[in-house]
This record gives sequence, structure tokens and C-alpha cells, in this order.
Amino acid sequence: MAAPGPGQLAALQVLLKAPSKDAVRQLCQECFSSPPAGLGPLALRTGPGLAVSPAEAEQLVSALHSLTRHVVYRGLARAEDILSLFPETFHQNLKNLLTKIILENISAWRNEAQASQISLPRLVDMDWRVDIKTSSDSISRMAVPTCLLQLKIQEDVALCGNSPVVSALTVELSKETLDTMLEGLGRIRDQLSAVANK
Amino acid sequence: MGLLNFTRDPVPEAVSGDMHNLNQLSAQQFSDLTEVLFRFLTEPKEVERFLAQLSDFATLNKISLGPLKNIVKSILLVPSGALKRNLSSEQVRADFIALGLSEEKASHFAEQWKVNSPTLTRLALGQTLMINQLVDMEWKFGVTAGSSELEKVGSIFLQLKLVIKKGSQTENVSIELTLPQFYSFLHEMERVKTSLESFS
Repeated sequence: MAAPGPGQLAALQVLLKAPSKDAVRQLCQECFSSPPAGLGPLALRTGPGLAVSPAEAEQLVSALHSLTRHVVYRGLARAEDILSLFPETFHQNLKNLLTKIILENISAWRNEAQASQISLPRLVDMDWRVDIKTSSDSISRMAVPTCLLQLKIQEDVALCGNSPVVSALTVELSKETLDTMLEGLGRIRDQLSAVANK
Repeated sequence: MGLLNFTRDPVPEAVSGDMHNLNQLSAQQFSDLTEVLFRFLTEPKEVERFLAQLSDFATLNKISLGPLKNIVKSILLVPSGALKRNLSSEQVRADFIALGLSEEKASHFAEQWKVNSPTLTRLALGQTLMINQLVDMEWKFGVTAGSSELEKVGSIFLQLKLVIKKGSQTENVSIELTLPQFYSFLHEMERVKTSLESFS
């Protein structure tokens, strides 16, 4: 995510026309969360509130998106780092306000970025039950415990947009399978501790 | 014929004739045949070997293979019913006698039944229906170094690939877990193990 240029950031100064600090705050959040494709519609919604032309609204929204995403990408945590992105001539108070808003939101935005990262389908929930099989067509009397495990899996967030697809998978495990699985999981835990202790 | 333990259905006509033929075998011959049968019952996949051993038995004892196969089919009705109904060896012996087999041979077969029944039971249990059986689990974990949205990430991810038997095919399901989810999953699986053990 390339740093927004000074020319681009100059467009942010129309924010001086914003009705309140909260309106600026709100807009920062919306510009960060919006994917690039959503910036056009966002600009159209924002323009009238600020009494600016559609072109100016687009430049504003685009610059704010670039700025917020860049800060999150680079993991800038200090006020000085963010302030230095703005051109010299930028309005002082607005610059401080924007920096303050960004710093307030940075860890939430970081989590948001991580949560919407590409990944394999994610486990969102799991439930289990233990059954005792008492009879079957191959043996009329038995007492075999077995485990049913239901995993709720969510498909890649990026593909689903706002309506995530969650599927449920029910799997049966015998006692032997469970023991083997626990052995594997135990090994993972040991390796994780080894990595954490380094 | 009185009530049989191993089945409620009427027994095919041919069975009493087959039992009569079996009675003609010497004790040693019957013992050898029984051995071949139980070796097959405890390893039901070894069909080729079973047929070869039957053929050898037929040749050695100067019996035609065709009739021998029919006799074997009749004999095998009893152990398969006995397994389904958890019959004791006395009940198996009683059934063979009711079908017309000599007491001596019936006792011998029942004896072999007793010896082999743990293995046979285990095999039958293994055939019990399982839905979406988990057959294998592969895993890997690593560190996410960076992404298009975050230059430096450094978070741990864990990926599991579950191999599931659906009918006669296997299906692979890959999922990703965060670290807290993994610990929670491990904890739940340990609870399941405790539960299963208390019922064993």
C-alpha cells in the first residue's frame, strides 16, 4: 500500500467543511473499511453532506482510504510518523484531528484487516456428542461408544462479502480415531510451546 | 426340527443332506475343514486363499469340489446367525445337533466357535455403520509473515486437513484455526475422550 502523495492528501482539507468531529471520525471508519470498489458509492453519499462537488468527494474519499490503509499496512504507531505524511502546508488542527482519530482506531483496524485476510475456510464453531451404539444389523447386542463431532465452517470471507456461507460438517470418530487425533493435537501443542519459548 | 437359535427363518432343504454328508467325514477331516472355515471367517477378505484351501481339501480327501462348496455354504449359515445374535457356544452346538450333525462334530465346532468369537465379534463391530467416518487428519501450522493489508503480521495459523469417508469415497476438508480456537478444540477433544472412556 503506497503512501498517499502530498497532492492527494491536500484533498482532505475539504473536511474542514465537516459538520462535526464525529462526522470526520465516521468518515474515516467508512473509508478504511470500504473496499476500493465501494469508494465510488461512498463518495456519492458523502458529497452532499460536505457541500462539495462529486469530483472533490471522490478525491477526498480516495485520499482518506489510502491514508488509513497505508498507516495500518506499515503499522505506524507514533503520532510523528503519521504527521510526517501530511504536506507542510496542511491545516494544522485538521492534521492533528486526523492523526488523533487514526491512532484511536489503529488497533481495531488492524484486527479488521487480519480478520478479513484470505485464508482457508475457517472453523467458527464446534459441538460434540457421545453416543452408545447398542445394536446393528451385524450384531444385535453391543455397547460401543462413539463420538459425533459437528464443525461449523465458514468459507473465505473475501469471497462471501457481507453474507458469509457457513456449512456444518458432522464427522464420526471411534475411540481409536479420537486417541490418534489427540496424539496429533498434543504434538501440535508441544511444538507450539517450543516455538513460544524460543 | 425344533426352534433354532441362530435363525428364525426356515432352513433350506439342502442343509440336512449336507449335514448327513459331513457326518461321513472322519474326525480329523472335519477338524481340518473347520480350521479352513474359521481361518476364512477371521479374515473374510482372503477369499482367494479360502477357495484355494477348499480346493486342496477336496483333492486331498477325494471329494468333489461342487458338493463340498454346498456343504460349506450350509455350515456357514450357523456362525453368521450366531454372531448377529450373540449366541453362546452351547447354543451353537445345540443348533448343529438340531440340524443333524453328530454330537462329536457339533461339540468340536462349538469349541472352535468359543475360541474364535472375540476376533469374530470385533470384526462384526468394525463393520457397524459409521456416518462420515474420520479416517485421517493432517496438519500444519506456521506464521503469517505479511499480507496485502498488513506489512508485518507475525500471527500463528493452524491448518487441519480432515479426511472423511463418505460412502465409498473419501473427501478432504481443510480448515484453518486460530490459536485460541486450537486450544479450545484440544480441550473439548480431551473431554470427549474422558466421556468415551467412562462408557467403555
